[in-house]
Amino acid sequence: MPKTKLPAVLSTFCLCFGFWVLLTWKFTAQELIAGAAVSLAAALFASPFFIHENAFWLFNPARLGALFAYVFVFLGELVKANLDVARRCFAGCKDVNPGIVKVPVDLKSDYAEAMLANSITLTPGTITMDIAEQDGKTYYYVHWIDVSETDREKAGEIIKGRLENAVRRIWP
Amino acid sequence: MRIVIDILVAAGLVFALAGTKGILKMPDAFCRMQASTCITTLGTLGVILGGALYAFFVMGSVGTGVKVLVIGLLIITINPVGAHAIAKGAYKYGVRPDKDMEIDDYGRDFNE
Repeated sequence: MPKTKLPAVLSTFCLCFGFWVLLTWKFTAQELIAGAAVSLAAALFASPFFIHENAFWLFNPARLGALFAYVFVFLGELVKANLDVARRCFAGCKDVNPGIVKVPVDLKSDYAEAMLANSITLTPGTITMDIAEQDGKTYYYVHWIDVSETDREKAGEIIKGRLENAVRRIWP
Repeated sequence: MRIVIDILVAAGLVFALAGTKGILKMPDAFCRMQASTCITTLGTLGVILGGALYAFFVMGSVGTGVKVLVIGLLIITINPVGAHAIAKGAYKYGVRPDKDMEIDDYGRDFNE
């Protein structure tokens, strides 16, 4: 059982309270106090599982800016991949060449790995199936709908695109 | 503003149609999952953005619009976890395409 730490509780509390405000969108004292109480209870319970490293890593203008830039990079990749898969679907679904590729990833933090894996899954045409560590390096197993490149390094460049560099600016 | 909203919703519906056709017609289970991500990303995002703009500018209710955007955020964060678990579970259970895959590193590394 991990220990509960004050910075972790505080940052989880900020996240929970932000969601409460967004969902209720009423700024009366009654709502805010009830929300603070519920968020505090949730933060006390959940922070050991939620925060592992530096709790206030994201509360920094440069990193928030990088996160904001990442959203636009990701939306660009998303639209490109969506158009590609939609074209394949409308063209009769015969134009597919599926395969599972092992892609090397050069990220250190757990959050960064999870974020890149989720972004790859969310892009149509690629699904991350598993993460493996071998000899200190991290690999993703990615199911790819159109294997145009069987060399792992080059396939990784095509699949990850600009996402990996954008993630690295948020987390190392 | 109504024109922008209509375009967003229509674009979302086009992608949802493409995804549905993919789910019905794709040759194997993993490719069908790939087609379904089309629906969850641009399909819902288009409709959600359209709905949020409608709430902000036509209904004039900021609270509703923000709630719609939060729904979009939650879908974006939670959906890939499920997709990833389903794909891995299907592979471990023994689901394989009829036609051999172009390259299968996962089978090579874990089946022996």
